[in-house]
Amino acid sequence: MSTQFVQAAWGGILFGSVYGLMALGLTLVWGAVRLLNLAHGALFVVGSYVAYWAVSRLNLPILVALPIGVLGAAAFAYLMHLIFIRPVIGKPGFDNSTLIATVGISIAVSAAAILIFNPEYKVIPPVISGNFTVSNVQITKQGLLVIGASLALFGAVYLFLTYTRHGMAIRAVSQQQEAASLMSIPVVRTYGLVIAISGGLAGLAGVLLSPFFFLNPNSGFNPMIQALIVTIFGGLGSVRGALVAGFVLGIFESFVEVYYGVAWAQPGVFLLIILMLILRPNGLFGIGEVRRL
Amino acid sequence: MLEVKGLVAGYGGGEVLHGIDLAVHEGECVVVLGPNGHGKTTLLRAITGLLTPRAGQVLLEGRDITRWRADSIAAAGLVHIPQGDLLFPEMTVTENLLLGAYNRATWSDRNARLARVYELFPWLKERGGQLARTLSGGERRMLALGRGLMSKAKLLLIDEPSLGLAPLITQQIYASIHKVKDSGMSLLIADENANQVAGLADRVYLLETGSLVRQGPAAELLRDKALLESYLG
Repeated sequence: MSTQFVQAAWGGILFGSVYGLMALGLTLVWGAVRLLNLAHGALFVVGSYVAYWAVSRLNLPILVALPIGVLGAAAFAYLMHLIFIRPVIGKPGFDNSTLIATVGISIAVSAAAILIFNPEYKVIPPVISGNFTVSNVQITKQGLLVIGASLALFGAVYLFLTYTRHGMAIRAVSQQQEAASLMSIPVVRTYGLVIAISGGLAGLAGVLLSPFFFLNPNSGFNPMIQALIVTIFGGLGSVRGALVAGFVLGIFESFVEVYYGVAWAQPGVFLLIILMLILRPNGLFGIGEVRRL
Repeated sequence: MLEVKGLVAGYGGGEVLHGIDLAVHEGECVVVLGPNGHGKTTLLRAITGLLTPRAGQVLLEGRDITRWRADSIAAAGLVHIPQGDLLFPEMTVTENLLLGAYNRATWSDRNARLARVYELFPWLKERGGQLARTLSGGERRMLALGRGLMSKAKLLLIDEPSLGLAPLITQQIYASIHKVKDSGMSLLIADENANQVAGLADRVYLLETGSLVRQGPAAELLRDKALLESYLG
């Protein structure tokens, strides 16, 4: 296999799994709560800074800092739900007020990161270091871990939603909220659960990705934009869509980048999405408002 | 078991129910009869918390549950089978049924409950893996009924069991409600068809423009054809 091909394939699968991981949380929250969470990138940042803090200030090993970062992001997301989302649930203007609130949270989080730490770029150590080469392409073990973690989490979320009491309740709330409350499912608490899970997923993405890109107060922005694109491509609210679209877009972007140059990567992706939205306006697995988690 | 006192409810600026007094005793089947648009659905929704009452009280076994959240009322044992069924469209028949047993008190023996509901509606078992959105009207109604029975209901509230169904299916639905009643369940049914509930109802209330205008034992009230005709048309 040519170096170019291996490089494109490796980059694509790696980016695909990252996009999918970020999109998974976004699509869950959209599906269940009907909330477009523009603070998803902020949750990524919270997770990675909490882990950075645990590593640099508490001198904990990264394997311990990782779950701390994930829990930190989940807790932050739940707090965000309690303070900003819960009060406006069921009120007119829910869409607008939550959209603005989540943008505000993003700005506040990056400002807080500058104040608490400083604007300089930080480094989080990888969970596994080392690499090997295939056809002259460096394959990092951390990269393999990211791919594995992303696939495992998709599997775990799928099993959780399909077979557990709380997971089924999340699907029930997303499909027929009034009936869910008649089944004695506490709808608002279920929203909180989904938002916390989504926060944990974003936080995990943050901790695992920071060894590749340096950590800075705005490092969640790009992953969130990619996740938004993936979510729209895959169909808003669809878990399967997030997985497939993550890999399709990641691999597509990577091949365009390797074979046609970096300048074509983003325009290529947008071209693909425009085509997709013309052919299937609801995305790959979206069949309109009806189909949800 | 259930006591409703002076219940007032409505939507936006309009008042639909103007002070409803109603009671259901243990093991009893009470039917609220009234034409379309006179407040039957609003009454059930106000009782089970889908609509917050403006005044009045709802008592379940003496406990004031007025203004409780709908999920807490359901957990307390008032189980509402709503108009339009409100199934979970992208879930299978079995998943819909299991969610009926969501409450912690029922989840652990959900499989035993599932077996019992399957016994009552063998048809549901055959269609276990089918998505709810692909079911026909009658099948949906049966599933909604079965889902309600998965819970630990003290009282089942059923909104218009036969709405929009063909006559043959309607008969089947009422036959299964009969079975539910025979198992000792207390029932509150909203209906507009006096003939369907004859033989099922113990007591009947007549609802007209948001007020209960008559009540009495079913045997007496349902026999008075002239009265029924003047109310139900």
